[in-house]
Amino acid sequence: MKFFSQSFLYDDPWSIVSLAFFLRYPNPYAAHVVSCDVISRTQTPSGSLLTTRLILKRGALPRWAPQGIVSRAESWVIEESEVDPHGKTVRCRTKNLDHVKVMQVEEWVMFRQTSEGKTLQTTEARILSGFGWGLTKRIENHGLTRFKANVQRSREGVSLILSLLRQSRLQPMTLGGQESLPTSQSAGSDSDSSCTQNNTWSRLKSWLNSPSPT
Amino acid sequence: MAHSLSPECTPLKLEYDSCFNAWFEGYLEPAVAASASPKERANYSKQKADEFQQKCGKVWESYRFCVKKAVKEKGLDDLLQQARDENPLTEPPPPPPSSSENPPS
Repeated sequence: MKFFSQSFLYDDPWSIVSLAFFLRYPNPYAAHVVSCDVISRTQTPSGSLLTTRLILKRGALPRWAPQGIVSRAESWVIEESEVDPHGKTVRCRTKNLDHVKVMQVEEWVMFRQTSEGKTLQTTEARILSGFGWGLTKRIENHGLTRFKANVQRSREGVSLILSLLRQSRLQPMTLGGQESLPTSQSAGSDSDSSCTQNNTWSRLKSWLNSPSPT
Repeated sequence: MAHSLSPECTPLKLEYDSCFNAWFEGYLEPAVAASASPKERANYSKQKADEFQQKCGKVWESYRFCVKKAVKEKGLDDLLQQARDENPLTEPPPPPPSSSENPPS
């Protein structure tokens, strides 16, 4: 079993970091995310929001992996989260649902507002393989290396969304803000022309909806 | 990219997402003082829940129904139920790196 633990401080307030965290798919750093669905979402009497999402991720197997170790290089991931807007906390746990004998990765992420109005992210993970055949340790090491790289990429994804959110909040009246687009605007996107909601999200969405190469 | 697991649910998902996200942006910054009483908070939460229901309730129902069906068709419902029964968010925080294995209670 391998453990991982890391914390990171964002300069932005909790509400915007949390928004960016939930908006993080799609982003260019998460091209491996095939699908993402909300399975359940409820509000508790105290006002917290509980969400379960089911995510399909495409993974690449290491070169040394035996043929047929898994039937396909895709994995279903469950993400359970609790958002408490009064206590300014997000707690989130993810784990893979299949290939668990080969490797089970469990991740806990927490976002908390600090007293200076910044946001502290803590990430903890546990990586466990029950594969055997003398490969357990190698699989766990590979999983840890890949997990570390993914934490970095995931943060870059959140940071990108954060900068888009910041930009859009600075330009409240320019719906679309074409000149500052980080990605080229889709000319043929037919579903967005009727977009009338003048909020951060709809602007962000129009920025991210560039034609996808895949 | 972040489509639904079933192509037929994707249009509903996109519609739901954009409705939810607009609501969520306001939800994250509650218009109630940090010093508010639990009752005031509960009232406010109820108000936000009603607002969601009114704006997004309909598309949420359609989307949820679509995904539920797709999850069943793909045979994922057992896996999912099993994972959710473990009820991770009521668990204590993750074990520190030094702790040994805890048998699930």
